[in-house]
Amino acid sequence: MSILAYNGGCVVAMRGKDCVAIATDHRFGVQGQTIDTNFQKVFQINPQMFLGLVGLQTDILTVKDRLAFRKNLYEVRENREMTPERFAAMLSSFLYERRFGPYFVEPVVAGLDPKTSKPFICNMDLIGCPNAPDDFVVAGTCAEQLYGMCETLWKPDLEPEQLFEVIAQSMINAFDRDAISGWGATVYIIEKDKITVKTLKTRMD
Amino acid sequence: MISAENFPEYNVPGVVKHDFHPYESNGGSVVAIAGDDYAVIAADTRLSSGYSIHTRKQNKLFKLSGTTVLGSTGCWCDTLALTSLISARMKMYHYLHQKVMPTNAISQMLSIIMYHKRFFPYYVSNILAGLDADGKGVVYSYDPIGHCELASYRAGGSAGALLQPVLDNQIGLKNQENVAKDPIPKEKAISVIVDTFISAAERDIYTGDGVIINVITKDGIETRNVSLRKD
Amino acid sequence: MASERYSFSLTTFSPSGKLVQIEYALQAVAAGAPSVGIMASNGVVLATENKHKSYLYDEHSVNRVEMITGHIGMVYSGMGPDYRLLVKQARKMAQSYYLTYKEPIPVAQLVQRVANLMQEFTQSGGVRPFGVSLLICGWDNNRPYLFQCDPSGAYFAWKATAMGKNSINGKTFLEKRYNEDLELDDAVHTAILTLKEGFEGKMTPDNIEVGICDENGFRRLDPSSINDYLVNI
Repeated sequence: MSILAYNGGCVVAMRGKDCVAIATDHRFGVQGQTIDTNFQKVFQINPQMFLGLVGLQTDILTVKDRLAFRKNLYEVRENREMTPERFAAMLSSFLYERRFGPYFVEPVVAGLDPKTSKPFICNMDLIGCPNAPDDFVVAGTCAEQLYGMCETLWKPDLEPEQLFEVIAQSMINAFDRDAISGWGATVYIIEKDKITVKTLKTRMD
Repeated sequence: MISAENFPEYNVPGVVKHDFHPYESNGGSVVAIAGDDYAVIAADTRLSSGYSIHTRKQNKLFKLSGTTVLGSTGCWCDTLALTSLISARMKMYHYLHQKVMPTNAISQMLSIIMYHKRFFPYYVSNILAGLDADGKGVVYSYDPIGHCELASYRAGGSAGALLQPVLDNQIGLKNQENVAKDPIPKEKAISVIVDTFISAAERDIYTGDGVIINVITKDGIETRNVSLRKD
Repeated sequence: MASERYSFSLTTFSPSGKLVQIEYALQAVAAGAPSVGIMASNGVVLATENKHKSYLYDEHSVNRVEMITGHIGMVYSGMGPDYRLLVKQARKMAQSYYLTYKEPIPVAQLVQRVANLMQEFTQSGGVRPFGVSLLICGWDNNRPYLFQCDPSGAYFAWKATAMGKNSINGKTFLEKRYNEDLELDDAVHTAILTLKEGFEGKMTPDNIEVGICDENGFRRLDPSSINDYLVNI
């Protein structure tokens, strides 16, 4: 089995009208055995920017820490907040540094530009090939299911409340068809002046 | 182990060795939904192999009787072998029992035919849709070695993973609060099927070109065609 | 050998607290060809003398004004070979920044990194400080920038400045001439006039170099456009 599917889990991010959403499941397991049912794979990097990481749990934590290190250094050196675009570019080059011994993670970045509030979403493979579309990005062991759900439910210019419904339904119905994802979900809706965090209860099996 | 590789001095120069690959994946997706008095089954029309497309107009639905349709994808040659065997067996049944084989009997026979090749299976994803003895819609889904499950909706084939959660949500009404669990009307089922195929064609390169839909009711089998993206 | 007891790195503090090697480096700069930088409201200009010892030199094949990346340029006073190395390193820094962040390097960042490199050469073993001061100009954040970088690694942000030979007169001249609303064209004019202070001989398009940077990026002026400015003086 792939190392990327050793611990299970999934993350999805979507663009709405002047907002973005990112959602994570809560499971952390070792192959079939569930260890933790409250392991969130989405981390707040900046007031308006979130990073989701799926894959090998040890690498998720390492990558998160090392990126925070680089981002903090950038921000004190240049005395300005990092934009999601810059963060994604940095993440991409960070992952490609390990081209032949990669971190087993698939990242998702979602956020608003701190100055212009322009929505930005992006995902990558484990060696940092970036993909920043204008609809949605998915990652994790139920990526196929997520693609099917998002492709059906998503439409352009969703308002924050609608975006929440779409991302929540996409996430839950997708990971209900995946044995190693699920056990609840958390959704972050990022708007210009507020961030809404909602925890979803789902079937726990 | 004793094999020619252990005796290089016996190797004949210029001999090219070939491995035998008995299976091929030709793609394609099937979706079926059963209602109270109907069953709908649909399959895309693309037949492909790797990055190439053999044809954009391959019907993957097989009318086995006036009330039963089989959707079959996977290794296309296995599908052809399997379906011709099924129709032969159905003829034998007809001659022996002097009646058309009912849907539940076909479902059981299909399972047995598949299991007969337990150790060299038909590499196919089967979904059987039809009306049962009471005229109620039924859907049976199979794995390649004949496991059979009765369901009310099912997606299979190359985009099965993409489509199934959509059906859970839209037909099974899973994870939806405060919705009336009314029976799904026929036209609603058809429109969900078309929507799921449009979504699948966006992301699955083995699904596309068109959809053929068979609507099975007590009045017979109605066929509809919908076109999908062709890239 | 007894003398080895005191042969530390060339950049060892003198008992009075000075790093004499750096002071010598600054003297190399002060003796070098003059260069001028002026920030205008809509751009920034660099100008320098590029005099040749003999009529036989091919004037326009070796340049003192260099582009670092699309929106940043550089000029120097001091030792040419040291400058080439800094240009090469600065270009690398600009490209590596772009590769990491997919954004052109901010001028202040490039200056900081170049200054850091110059500082390393005042504290490392087996090396000597650079014999150059740099003027780095650029455009980002919708405004021009002008920095000076010294052999010690110190850097300054200027509105206008002069370095090299006659720099004191040059700065006095600029203090009188400079105002904040200067347009780029006037700044080029002023820069050339500043160079002309104490210019020995006749100024021609072949013995000065001018680089300008505005929202369209950095470019070195060709001799014919320098000539257009010269005829107006």
